[in-house]
Amino acid sequence: MFSHGRDTLHMEASISNHNALPNLGFGLGLRTDHYHEILETKPKVDWFEALSENYMVPGGKPHYFLDKIRADYPIVMHGVSLSIGSTTAFDQYYLKGLKQLADQVQPAWISDHLCWTGIHGQNIHDLLPLPYTEETVKHVVERVNIVQDFLGRQLLLENVSSYASYVDSTMTEWEFIKEIAERSDCLLLLDVNNIYVSSFNHGFDGKAFIDGVPANRIQQIHLAGHHNHGDYIIDTHDAPVIDPVWDLYRYAIQQYGSVSTMIERDDKIPPLAELVDELQIARHIAAEVVAA
Amino acid sequence: MSKLAQLQADFQASILNSDADLFKKKVVDDAKVGAEKRLNIYADAYRLRIIEALATAYPKLHSLLGDDLFDNTVRQYIDQYPSKYRNMRWVGDKMSEHLQNVLPEHPIAAELADFEWALGLAFDAKDVPVVGIDQLSEIAPETWGDLRFSLHPSVQLLDLHWNVVPVWQALDAEQAPPTLTQHHMPCLVWRTDLNSHYRSLDAQEFSALLQLKSGANFGSLCESLFDSLGESATQQAAQYLASWLQAGLISQIKS
Repeated sequence: MFSHGRDTLHMEASISNHNALPNLGFGLGLRTDHYHEILETKPKVDWFEALSENYMVPGGKPHYFLDKIRADYPIVMHGVSLSIGSTTAFDQYYLKGLKQLADQVQPAWISDHLCWTGIHGQNIHDLLPLPYTEETVKHVVERVNIVQDFLGRQLLLENVSSYASYVDSTMTEWEFIKEIAERSDCLLLLDVNNIYVSSFNHGFDGKAFIDGVPANRIQQIHLAGHHNHGDYIIDTHDAPVIDPVWDLYRYAIQQYGSVSTMIERDDKIPPLAELVDELQIARHIAAEVVAA
Repeated sequence: MSKLAQLQADFQASILNSDADLFKKKVVDDAKVGAEKRLNIYADAYRLRIIEALATAYPKLHSLLGDDLFDNTVRQYIDQYPSKYRNMRWVGDKMSEHLQNVLPEHPIAAELADFEWALGLAFDAKDVPVVGIDQLSEIAPETWGDLRFSLHPSVQLLDLHWNVVPVWQALDAEQAPPTLTQHHMPCLVWRTDLNSHYRSLDAQEFSALLQLKSGANFGSLCESLFDSLGESATQQAAQYLASWLQAGLISQIKS
């Protein structure tokens, strides 16, 4: 169904010895505003990340454009409502829909967030933080195993931005992530902006986070912007990446080596060329780090 | 209930009820932001995210009601119909029902919501090939009476009683809408070439399409038109069928 001509471009050996997934290079979030331009101009983007839920609809334009773009570029799937940390049963309809979409798209990998989004059939449509406890680790590991078995592949989990932390937590976020990743043998999608946002909101050192998560499981990196309200930061993903986040990205690449990296803009979507230019900054930083 | 399950139940209730008191003892308090403010970020974001999603699903309803009334109406909606959907795409599915209850003084609002929701459903309805008029010409006319038809999944038939379409068109052109008037104006919504389309129908064609949708065969369609059209009923039915095939409304002819 799809040609895979570009899949061989920009691939490097993954540093991870816990997965056989490729380093896809430098990508962008796939946004409807850019569909036509992508097909007409074939921009210098190595891969695109499709938001799974946007394509979990019966048919029409979303599937038409995703299929067309998939013919030219590798795609990864990124979800927002798996609710891996929820204490109520998985939504089987959602899981089946996710697998069906994966069968259609043949993504390089599938990711979602290390969070919960609602319980008892209700959805808050937000990436709610989990308490960092042994109880939560065991619960999430059990559920990651279920999802990985169902999908027949390793899942990538992404760290979320958070505005509240729990008095019950007994470990740091990075210790929590490490425990879950190692016990469930899942991979990680590191959102460097989210590290920055949470480090600001909770007063920890972003570099300690980067040092604390298992380097050999980082399969993908997100970069994005946010909105600073002075005493706290809201993760809006609607603005360019700021310098302190680029600095953290450089630090991350110094620790992990080259990792598939993308700019994730979710709102106030600028012209495609602007994001392609912003992606060049990531390419330069990664090239400088590798050269050094 | 496990500690984690209790925490999630309490946090969710705090968000749904916009009541930080329910949960703030479980959240780290500090001089920088404070537990209550931190929880309010989540409660506010929950509402703002759905308001934004429904403004996208119902853009002309938003224009017609204006920011304040739309915002208030959706906030009531969120409290009355907490989202059961994983996908934000479907969160606004009860909006028309809600508008009938909360804005009875603006009856066009519910019908405008029906119309916009139908455009959305047509947009991403299942992909199914349509049948062209050439396929009909391959079927012997003497057997047409037994033919039944499947409508394309994007096809929706709306029985509108207000001047919804002219109002929607004016708002779409960023012009002042015409006076809101009661006016029976059924409407067809469907998708061709990846885009949603609409067309007003007269009562006769609307009734004919409803019959087709409910499984009536071509012979029954002709009979139902006979009362008003007499001998020209068959010709009218054939014209309808040709125009529906040309518009891409029919996905299957069943002989």
